[in-house]
Amino acid sequence: MISRVRNVVNSVMGGLAALPQPPERPQPDDLELKYPYCRPEFLQLSQDEIQVSADHVSRPIMVPREPNRLPWSAGYAEVINAGKSPRNEDQAATTQLCISRPARTSNRNTNKANNKGNNGNSGEDNLQQEAMTEETEEMDELHFTYFGVFDGHAGTGAAIMASRTLHYHIRDKMADVSELLLPVTYEDQNHPGSGSNHGSGSGKPSSRVITKEHLIIGALERSFCEMDSQIERERLTFRITGGCTALVAVFVLGKLFLVNAGDSRAVLCRNGEAIPMSRDFTPESERQRLQYLAHLHPHLLSNEFTALEFPRRLHKTDLGKQTLYRDHTMTGWAPKTVTEDDLKFPLIFGEGKRCRVLATIGVTRGFGDHDLRVYDSHCQIKPFLTAAPEIQTYDMLEQRFGEDDFLIMASDGLWDVVANQDACNVVLDALTQFHPQDPNRYTSAAQELVMHARGTLQGKGWRRPAEDKPASGDDITAFIIPLYHYGNQHLSSPTVLSESEESSTREMETETEAEADPGPDSLDP
Amino acid sequence: MSYAYLFKYIIIGDTGVGKSCLLLQFTDKRFQPVHDLTIGVEFGARMITIDGKQIKLQIWDTAGQESFRSITRSYYRGAAGALLVYDITRRDTFNHLTTWLEDARQHSNSNMVIMLIGNKSDLESRREVKKEEGEAFAREHGLIFMETSAKTAANVEEAFINTAKEIYEKIQEGVFDINNEANGIKIGPQHSPSNPALGGGGGAGGSQAGGGCC
Repeated sequence: MISRVRNVVNSVMGGLAALPQPPERPQPDDLELKYPYCRPEFLQLSQDEIQVSADHVSRPIMVPREPNRLPWSAGYAEVINAGKSPRNEDQAATTQLCISRPARTSNRNTNKANNKGNNGNSGEDNLQQEAMTEETEEMDELHFTYFGVFDGHAGTGAAIMASRTLHYHIRDKMADVSELLLPVTYEDQNHPGSGSNHGSGSGKPSSRVITKEHLIIGALERSFCEMDSQIERERLTFRITGGCTALVAVFVLGKLFLVNAGDSRAVLCRNGEAIPMSRDFTPESERQRLQYLAHLHPHLLSNEFTALEFPRRLHKTDLGKQTLYRDHTMTGWAPKTVTEDDLKFPLIFGEGKRCRVLATIGVTRGFGDHDLRVYDSHCQIKPFLTAAPEIQTYDMLEQRFGEDDFLIMASDGLWDVVANQDACNVVLDALTQFHPQDPNRYTSAAQELVMHARGTLQGKGWRRPAEDKPASGDDITAFIIPLYHYGNQHLSSPTVLSESEESSTREMETETEAEADPGPDSLDP
Repeated sequence: MSYAYLFKYIIIGDTGVGKSCLLLQFTDKRFQPVHDLTIGVEFGARMITIDGKQIKLQIWDTAGQESFRSITRSYYRGAAGALLVYDITRRDTFNHLTTWLEDARQHSNSNMVIMLIGNKSDLESRREVKKEEGEAFAREHGLIFMETSAKTAANVEEAFINTAKEIYEKIQEGVFDINNEANGIKIGPQHSPSNPALGGGGGAGGSQAGGGCC
């Protein structure tokens, strides 16, 4: 009887706690899938083959049948996990897209005086416009090449959706600033420093000069945010399961932009040397951000967790004794007396790959997870996660790249067992077996790299025989992207981002929205 | 599309002996004279009937190139049947059979049925390996043997089907543990005790357990 009363109370309490939720939300299970399970399009797998690719016993390494379907015949390989989930929760995408400047009346008549005069002498304006269009035709388009790796968890929905749509968000956000990105004129190329002379920016001496590089970065940041919002909106009408990390490479304006929200990793190999191009975001690496968030908004811990970190889990017997701890302001440790509050489960707990936020999730950035809660609790996880990426850039024009210079982008299934330099060495070794012009060259290397991490099944476990160490039982996905195509093709192209023209971006408002702290943004349910 | 059993095959042998062409002839009934190099592994599937039972063959076509050998080797496990292919017009591909066979025996399950195939029988004028040599090798190593032509389709059906018959007989004799997926045999969905609906999500959706069935 008492327990029944308690149940009623619990359900009432639960109902109260859940009040901020939109009422009468359809249960996710009743909704239609946004996308059925699939593998990357460039693999061209039939439904039958998709099922065979999920063979956990043999773990076939899947590679594109026609490597030259990928930009620059980039290499790709993937393999399913050793049984931890029925499907491969990694996804990947690559494409080449283009933005063009919307029809406009050239730089010279964008100022208000000319716009006002449009009624009077439109004919003249049109003539002028045509002349301008012709003059800058070749450069009124901006092409970019995109690669993305998405590592899903708790379902395949978010990763599939991101792999299908993120590049369109990036294109749209770049198109939003196309007026500022385009055109890159011959004048900019031939007369360095002349870029800032035209354009109305000169009439506004107080406005800050924003480089094109930062416009691209802003567009990338906005697109990640928008991707997460889209999942948040559409999960009300479709079933979009789980969440995913995102690692994206965009080659544009002569630069490589590496956009990372999660624990996939990009490593650039040049002259045989591994250069990390992203930092892994994990509960451990993001401890201080997470603790600060909990410090600002203690209710997020639902009175069940403590934001402090201790060297070990504390128990009742520790009460009143001394312990070491650290909070959001610290990287080192300090002593304190254990109180009742310190006995709660720590916000961040576990070591290495086992480290979890709120005892639930091992990644701290990415898309989705909007409905994720602590098991048997109303404590929400999402406020601690963010879609905000970290972006690194690399100048592709400063140096010439050779055929053995490449970028590896891979999910943590690879990096869990292979170090950056080892990965580069495996790829370099594989590349020697193929002629530089062989379209299969980078695909074979990708296959070799994934094989290196997957290992072989020996007895009951997957092992890497070469080093006699455990292999990766996770989903593994890897791109090997040759760099000489982009570097060298753009040496002579006009659509590059050079110092001389960066100043030509005009009157960009300085409050770039994406700079806003993602924390508070994601706090509102 | 329901089946009583699914048998997993693997096709192995030197590069250029016609492995992918044999598969294409068997699954699509066509011949493609110029075939791209197989990089990793490709799949084919076809339904056949043995003893009145529908049997689905799921065929893994591997890369023959030496540089892919370690990857190819890792696919032996979990196959119920193997087609070991050489080219009757290239003596070296026949000479390498011992290595292939050692590899297969070492990395596969011991009951795997191996069919030795001398391919390109249509190129009689360029023959370098006598049919009797193939037969002798097969006899010596306990293999089934056939000469085929992926081009004319001669014996292609028979090669795949006879291998399946042999596997089927072994099942009847109780040699294969059909409940162990690592043996390359699966019982069809309608035959297994619990089968949570096939519907939903374009064929791939629905089933939760054990990676489903091809």
